[in-house]
Amino acid sequence: MKRRDSIKTMFLGSIGASLTLESCITSEDKTVLDQVWQYNYGRTTEELKWDYKVLTGKFFSDTELSTIEKIANIIIPPNEYGSIKDAGVVELFEIIAKDFSTPAHNQYGEKVLRRGLIVFESICNSRFNKSILECSDEQIKSIFDDIAFSDNKDEDLQEAIRLFAVYRGMVLTGYFTSEIGIKDLGYKGNTPNVWDGVPEEILKDYSVSYDEEWISRCVDQSKRNDLAEWDEDGNLLT
Amino acid sequence: MEIIKSKKEYDVIVVGSGAGGGMATKILSDAGVNVALVESGPYFDPANPDQQTQLKWPWESPRRGAGTNRAFGDFHMSYGDWSLDGEPYSSVDGTDFKWWRSRMLGGRTNHWGRISLRFGPRDFKSKDFDGLGENWPISYEDIKPYYDKLDKLVGVYGTKENMFNEPDGFFLPPPKPRLHELFYIKGARKSNVKVMPSRLSVLTKRINNERGICFYCGQCDRSCSVYGDFSSSSCLVIPSLKGGKVDLYVNSMVNEVITDNNGRATGVSFINKENGKDYKIKGKIVVLAASACATARILLNSKSRAHPNGLGNSSNLIGKYLHDTTGAGRGVFIPELMNRKIYNEDGVGGMHVYSPWWLDSRKLDFPRGYHIEVSGGMTLPQYGIGWNPNDFNKFFGLRTGGYGDSLRDDVKKYYGSTVYLSGRGEAIPLKENYCEIDPDTNDKYGVPVLKFRYKWSDYEYKQAKHMHDTFEEIAYNMGGIPLGNKPTKKDNYGISVPGEIIHEVGTTRMGNDPKSSVVNKYERLHDVDNVYVVDAAPFVSQADKNPTWTIMALSMRTSEYIIDELKKQNV
Repeated sequence: MKRRDSIKTMFLGSIGASLTLESCITSEDKTVLDQVWQYNYGRTTEELKWDYKVLTGKFFSDTELSTIEKIANIIIPPNEYGSIKDAGVVELFEIIAKDFSTPAHNQYGEKVLRRGLIVFESICNSRFNKSILECSDEQIKSIFDDIAFSDNKDEDLQEAIRLFAVYRGMVLTGYFTSEIGIKDLGYKGNTPNVWDGVPEEILKDYSVSYDEEWISRCVDQSKRNDLAEWDEDGNLLT
Repeated sequence: MEIIKSKKEYDVIVVGSGAGGGMATKILSDAGVNVALVESGPYFDPANPDQQTQLKWPWESPRRGAGTNRAFGDFHMSYGDWSLDGEPYSSVDGTDFKWWRSRMLGGRTNHWGRISLRFGPRDFKSKDFDGLGENWPISYEDIKPYYDKLDKLVGVYGTKENMFNEPDGFFLPPPKPRLHELFYIKGARKSNVKVMPSRLSVLTKRINNERGICFYCGQCDRSCSVYGDFSSSSCLVIPSLKGGKVDLYVNSMVNEVITDNNGRATGVSFINKENGKDYKIKGKIVVLAASACATARILLNSKSRAHPNGLGNSSNLIGKYLHDTTGAGRGVFIPELMNRKIYNEDGVGGMHVYSPWWLDSRKLDFPRGYHIEVSGGMTLPQYGIGWNPNDFNKFFGLRTGGYGDSLRDDVKKYYGSTVYLSGRGEAIPLKENYCEIDPDTNDKYGVPVLKFRYKWSDYEYKQAKHMHDTFEEIAYNMGGIPLGNKPTKKDNYGISVPGEIIHEVGTTRMGNDPKSSVVNKYERLHDVDNVYVVDAAPFVSQADKNPTWTIMALSMRTSEYIIDELKKQNV
């Protein structure tokens, strides 16, 4: 079955197979369908159903999402590669909250991600009598100075410290798995190429070298297309 | 219940399309034998853009590749992992066993590490050396011709080393080591640990015109869309389908081998997972290759008047002697590899160098050896990157944690500075470690499931301890700092949970005596002359060598034997 057909079948199945796609599809359904369609990464039918579930509905309120964005922008401020928004970090929070929902995840969205917001808000409220969104960046940073480091042993802050570490982890992982984040990191692979060893200047930088005997037996990339042939003792002839 | 029966009688029914089943299908159908290949999962071809995950970026998954649906992440190519919905299993006596199941054409060969090591002369006769376990009824010389053919047919890179018990083969040339691997070579040599080019079934050079050559994306675990790595589906099954001799049944879960009044097999029954209906197909010969535990389950569930406790189980040994490879590992931080200049070092999907077992076990307090695998480098970011962006600050007396621009720099500073060392060792097969039918639990298809009992012995714990001592020594000798705490006796020396290394074997072990083994040296059941097992179930012992190459060489040998039997009209 073609991907588009299998998505269609799955989608129809999820809303009642007796109805036609066109007659019953709401605009919200259509948005979701487009979103599922946007992610083309080799899913099975069961996985497509799961993605549909994860991409449907809403976990965080708009206020919560704006709060996450504000926090995330302070954890990683924008630079020349882009911002938290460009990296899709806020969407990732929303998706993970719904995605990590098996029994093994133990209500990760509620007990960890939303709990984080509640705890950060309550510190903010007690210190400044304002919500995170109402606070200035400087005020938020003054809180982060207390909860962003694991060496702070203040007992009252331990939960906040633990939850902040999760937020920082999510923000950084979201950033460095995004298109702009990977560009920022400088990763050069995930593309067809021919590996022919560590570049000469790098070997020099580290004062290491290839052992002649070892390297003489490695692949000669100019002959990689020649059909392999051996003598009867297993010596490669081509 | 409606059962749909097909009138056609196949020469051979092969159950399972992984390493063993794919090879049997290829050899049998090439010889003109009519084959029904029955696979429990869907059709799979990594060249199909709708199934492909190779070369996808993390952001192409909404969860950035996190392991919600697939244990090793969204892009890892296995349909199924240690748990499958509606298909439970359990462990008894306070033990734990983890059972990996890949339900797809080609099975686990789509995601495996491609480490392709021949068992050596000693591996077939270990009991002669240390008095433990059992010898195989065959020797290296019996299987060598098949390893030779396999090397040429499937392709494996490596180098001739003339080392005892690490037989050479017909190798393609290996890729040059990566930078962290040069550090490993230096450290290992200083520790007097042998190190040499790895042996992986990845095409560094052309072997035929059907398969592409490796283009070094480092993603063999995603199954290669140009077939530059070996998967049973890509390299054996799909080509075999073109010959017109193979009928492929997908999404078809075999639950039983059917026998006649004399106890001979006449075919198999299976459930079509798409329509839930039961089917029966007929065959002169049944070849089981469903994976060691699934094959044991099918046999044990195939009860009849002639075989009251399961097909081929007169010895009561089906399911017994289950064993997995041992595993332990340690991360190493290499300060010298901080702030790396970035270039593409993806390489092949696995290590370019490794250490085969290098010691004489007679001088140690554990009987069997292990090899060391090396990983690391500037790899494709995936979900989890940056989670502890500056944990290594602690090695420099700096604060960890924080927020702001400096975190970006921390991630870049430490990117590519960690190396991971993994030991993979041989366990002693024990009768007390087994899988058996759990009469109280059925899967969602109504078929009784398995329960496991598996405990490592002191030999394996001592081996894991030795691994950790070695890792630590090599870590320091490569200028690194071993990460975390070294596991102690209290932590069982960090040994893997049985099943975690995904090399489970031994459930229908091979032997000459029908009382102490389940199949003969041609992998045929002692009790039934037309049922064969060509997965890892017949393994008498699992060397530290990774089972795939031996599964395939044995399957080749058994398939040729079957062709002979068919020619002689013995069946």
